[in-house]
Amino acid sequence: MNSLVTARGVSKHFGSVRAVDDVSFEIERGRILGLIGPNGAGKTTLLKALLGLTDCEGDLSVLGLDPFRQRKKLMQNICFIADVAVLPRWIKVSQVLDYVEAIHPNFSRKRAEELLKQTKIKKGSKVKELSKGMVTQLHLSIIMAIDAKLLVLDEPTLGLDILFRKEFYANLLNDYFDEERTILITTHQVEEIENLLTDIMFINDGKLLLDSSMEALSEKYVELLASGEGAQKARGLGPIAENQMFGKSVMLFEGVSREHLEGLGEIRIPSVADLFVAKIKEARK
Amino acid sequence: MIGHYLALIRRELWEHRSIWLTPIVIAGVVTLGTLTALMFAGEFAHELDLAIFGAQNIAGDMERRAVLTGFFVGSSWLFLLGLGVLTIFYTLDSLYAERKDKSILFWRSLPVTDAETVISKLLTAVVLIPAVAIVAIIGTHIVNLIVTSIWVSMKGGDAGLLIWGSVPLLDNWLATALTVFSMAIWMSPFLGWFLFVSAYTRRSPLLMAFLPLVLIPMIEGIFFRSANFAEAVWGRGAKIPLFSGIDIEAFFDEGQTRVSEEMVSLLAHLDLGKFVTSIDTWIGIIVCGLLTTAAIYVRRFRDES
Repeated sequence: MNSLVTARGVSKHFGSVRAVDDVSFEIERGRILGLIGPNGAGKTTLLKALLGLTDCEGDLSVLGLDPFRQRKKLMQNICFIADVAVLPRWIKVSQVLDYVEAIHPNFSRKRAEELLKQTKIKKGSKVKELSKGMVTQLHLSIIMAIDAKLLVLDEPTLGLDILFRKEFYANLLNDYFDEERTILITTHQVEEIENLLTDIMFINDGKLLLDSSMEALSEKYVELLASGEGAQKARGLGPIAENQMFGKSVMLFEGVSREHLEGLGEIRIPSVADLFVAKIKEARK
Repeated sequence: MIGHYLALIRRELWEHRSIWLTPIVIAGVVTLGTLTALMFAGEFAHELDLAIFGAQNIAGDMERRAVLTGFFVGSSWLFLLGLGVLTIFYTLDSLYAERKDKSILFWRSLPVTDAETVISKLLTAVVLIPAVAIVAIIGTHIVNLIVTSIWVSMKGGDAGLLIWGSVPLLDNWLATALTVFSMAIWMSPFLGWFLFVSAYTRRSPLLMAFLPLVLIPMIEGIFFRSANFAEAVWGRGAKIPLFSGIDIEAFFDEGQTRVSEEMVSLLAHLDLGKFVTSIDTWIGIIVCGLLTTAAIYVRRFRDES
């Protein structure tokens, strides 16, 4: 079995609001999946269901476990950073290490200390004395010292400056990721993680709009920059989105082969952000 | 399993430093009080000879024992009062603060169940804080007895006989330990209630915990003309079925001739059998268990987003 996560008809209601609405997908081992969606789309609820923090309807299996009912066992093989501010402010760096070492069977204190040596974080400092970036570095050092099969990052770089964000993802790729590990990331800053993703999912109003590998994405979606007659002809092929830029039309096609579009204008691979906007607009029609 | 609980309880000591700071402060106050009393007594040393602690000629054995026992009991109650108030604030804060500062998401990202977390907080309140209280009480007694012994010796009295030999120290300390732990178990339904409120409330846990305890007796009084709830809740502290009747009059009357060891021993006044077999003790434990279970469920099922 190569599937790490299997979801079949997963739903979660809050009163009459369907935060997650009949969602089905699989996540395979050794992938980096980006879960993208606007605010209130159901991203966090879906992650919480995966992490066993909330109950849900449907069949959901993570590492072969029922996340809500077997959360403790699950957490031995899953790590997550929910937000940059979740480390308690009163705790000392050394105490965090002591605690995680005592609690987590797959935590390597040696590794965490090595990672912390690369930062300016002192072991005697309290979390409240650290800058926001340092708190994230601390959290990431702990997470990277845990031998987990799945790492879930929910807006991990929110509120951090660009230097920290770049460093964060570089560390993650170089020091952490390998074929045995799987990473699930949600973020608003799609452009920054686009290049490291192997798979992508779009979610809006609790429904999955897209679930694809990045390779398949570049085959299935094409962006055409055209004007005049070329644009006219291209319109006939049914673009899913069209925008005007510098007097030219930027059209996005789904499932239209490149051969059909050749000669009509400039063909490009669409950015994830553009694709995302087009899909959301399409869903709202 | 036990390692988990030890790590969780150690975590509570890191977060709530008042658990060990409060007893240190109380111990300091008690010792300062003793020093002041001895200095004050020293002023009148001529008139009082060795004052009441060391009096061989003015005050008798019985009075000295009564004073020492009074000191034991009085200082112990000071600790119980201080740590009792601390326990109320601790339990009310224990499941509320982690939601307020959002650290709950970090704690829950580790392989610890909600039950383990909540139970570790209950154990901190029912076992750790009482244990700290007992250690602090005995430590304070020893320090104060040493201070008093030095004073008595300086006045030419025999501290070994007058201070250390006049009351059964080990008995009294054992009695203190039993009383403190029994009290913690006896009051545990309140701790369960505070834990539940701490897990449940979205704001001001202190107010939310005490409001029903004030309003329900008022409503019961107005509509049913009875006070069963108030008696069960507010009267519980005084009703602990642990002490066998102490006849103060008999104590002093007999004391005129001779006070037996058992009479001054606090242990002689405890009836552990009565406590263990009392239905009220067990009702309290069950109520505590139910409320703690409710707190676990709230922590587990509530969506924090």
